[in-house]
Amino acid sequence: MDMSVHHAVAADPQTLRKQLSRLPGVTTARELFTGPEPLPVDGMLAPVFARGGLPRGEILSVTGTLALSFACAAAAKSTREQHWCAAVDTPELAVAGLAELGIDLEHFVHVRTPPADWQRVVSILLETFDLLIIAPPAAPSPQERQRLTAKVRERRASLIALGPMPGSSESCEVSVAGWDGLHAGTGRLRACTVRVRHPRTGEHLLTWPLTPGATSVQQLPTASGAEAATCRPAHPQIQVIDGAG
Amino acid sequence: MPAETQRTLVLTVPDWSATAAAETHGWAAHEPVAVLRGGRIVSCNAAARAAGITTGINKRAAQLRCPQVRITGWDEDLDQRIFATGLDVLETSLARFTVLAPGEVSIPLSALARTYPSEDAAVEELLTTVTDATGWEFFAGIADSVFAAMLAARTATRVLPGQTPDFLAAQPTTALAYADAHTYGELVTVFERLGLDTLGALAQLSEGQMRTRFGTLGVQAHRLARGLPVHQPVDHVRQREHLIEVPISPPSTRGDELSFHARAAAAELFAGIRAAGLVCPSLSIELVAAGGQRSQRTWRLELMDENLVADRVRWQSEGWLAGQSAAAAEPVDEGLAEADGVCALTLAAAELLAPLEAHTSLFAQRSGYVTHTLERLQGLYGPEAVRVPQLQGGREPAETNLWTPWQQQPRPERSAAAPWPGRLPAPHPMIVDRAPVELLDRQGMSVIARPSGLDSTPVLLRLESGAEFGIVDHSSAWPVEAGWWDPARAQYRVRLQVLTACGQAFLLCKEHGRWHITGRYA
Repeated sequence: MDMSVHHAVAADPQTLRKQLSRLPGVTTARELFTGPEPLPVDGMLAPVFARGGLPRGEILSVTGTLALSFACAAAAKSTREQHWCAAVDTPELAVAGLAELGIDLEHFVHVRTPPADWQRVVSILLETFDLLIIAPPAAPSPQERQRLTAKVRERRASLIALGPMPGSSESCEVSVAGWDGLHAGTGRLRACTVRVRHPRTGEHLLTWPLTPGATSVQQLPTASGAEAATCRPAHPQIQVIDGAG
Repeated sequence: MPAETQRTLVLTVPDWSATAAAETHGWAAHEPVAVLRGGRIVSCNAAARAAGITTGINKRAAQLRCPQVRITGWDEDLDQRIFATGLDVLETSLARFTVLAPGEVSIPLSALARTYPSEDAAVEELLTTVTDATGWEFFAGIADSVFAAMLAARTATRVLPGQTPDFLAAQPTTALAYADAHTYGELVTVFERLGLDTLGALAQLSEGQMRTRFGTLGVQAHRLARGLPVHQPVDHVRQREHLIEVPISPPSTRGDELSFHARAAAAELFAGIRAAGLVCPSLSIELVAAGGQRSQRTWRLELMDENLVADRVRWQSEGWLAGQSAAAAEPVDEGLAEADGVCALTLAAAELLAPLEAHTSLFAQRSGYVTHTLERLQGLYGPEAVRVPQLQGGREPAETNLWTPWQQQPRPERSAAAPWPGRLPAPHPMIVDRAPVELLDRQGMSVIARPSGLDSTPVLLRLESGAEFGIVDHSSAWPVEAGWWDPARAQYRVRLQVLTACGQAFLLCKEHGRWHITGRYA
């Protein structure tokens, strides 16, 4: 896609428009620059992602402690909007934890296969699933990586890899800033402050879950806004040029 | 006969579960027998009733009333299997019948009208034939609709044509549970609270009011109360026979293999029926053996669900093959009974009716493709490879997890609706683990947990792999003691949350003197 744009710059606008409209799957000019609409995420997590949601057609890698919880929390809103999500070869998940993050249990599936076969399983799942959370045992080789990214892009799926994955377009590093509630043997875990570092949107602090006493099971992570605003650098905006002239 | 009523004869064996249990265990008919399900008696034979045992009481009360009563657990498979063996005998005397439930068959009287001069003669003849042939006592009931005939059979009454609404009006609303306990259970409690104690009171309301207040289910209950069939008969002539034939090679005698084939075929059949906008309340299953023998039976289905069909094929085949091997008392060829497996299976829709409303959701996005993908994965890696989550009752994630393989019925062991005091509060750990670990204090000794708390402060967590984590903080210990009155079910464990130096939190549990990780906050 990048190559064709370079060549077309010199040509006249009519042929440029024709060439661009022939790109598969791209229907509007905005989509050329921003890509397809991202999958929705819960409101408080939206500032973490570069496009305000899970990028479609791309691989997102999440590393650090609490990576799995973050991935599930990011997937939660999409499952509530009838998108199917599959977790492949992750350790056994606690259903109570999934329900607490707000995942719709009717649209969530856990797949257990021999770890060496993960690429085949992922390519089968990519045909119908919009969201995949994978924990590959080892990083794929360059050829495998190319095939995987091509398939993910073609299917407009969103792949979340737990662990470093070269070839991922976005990455988040999740770490624990502090747990509170344990008072040296007299309390219990109540809330956790999570620090999420994203190369483009900067550092965010989220609390998970909400303060106790909330009766709803779907507890959304909250953002402490002040610190987030100061730490985030201005990210480059791509402006759409009106009127190809 | 008016077009909307189908005059039906229902033959039922009262207290079927108790009769089947007695037959399996070889108890004589005069011994009191009771069947227990979910802690309550659901079925007891006449001898038990004479001793004072009724349905709904618990085991201890039953034994109090009659110390020599024999109590067994309820087994659906057993009920169906025993009845299926007896039905083979019925097939010779009855041309067309539908199995409603174990112990109940319904026969449309129009089929008998040709052979017998009057209803009374037909019933008398049939009752003597079936009772002689199977040895079970049957009660007969005749009415204008299947539901009314089922109720009439409980008291062995014959409802005159046209008197069905009056007969039904006198029945209590709880009788709706006989039609389908699962579907109408909640509705019946609502009706009782609204003061609709009898079906007559229900029938007096207008259909529009029922639909507005209760939806389709209410309209179905209303039609049952009035003695009308639940679904409308289709006006036009059936254009297409909905029928699927599955050849099975090599011929198989195994019930689970046949039910596997049946499930796939039933899914296809129902998809075709749904696409035609129809509903199939009864299905005819025909099994053909390698030797040419056939077994055909019509079953009533509450829903168009392929799992129900798979179960029925299994019951029918097990009953038939058991009957066959018993009949082949003098086999000419030693291997004849075993080799005579089922070589073909035919599923045909016995009745096609128009539904009251469409059942598919408009918002189910692409679920058909998802099913196809997941089934493909299951085909490659086995049914346990793909699992869906559900919550069941319990105090910790290790207990509340219920992962069921895709498209299998979930079997929760504990009820999620029951209160579980001592439940782990939010936040819940994300990963469930079961590894034994060592929790050591400053002196290097394992931390002891007492009901009053921990003896010493935990400082080090050592995993089996040798990895060690320094512990910076821990929660108070929560002991859980359950089932102490029954040594087989007694549980005593202590739960503890620990926080390690690197920020990872674990949920630990001490049981039988050993610490384990039960959850990981990841």
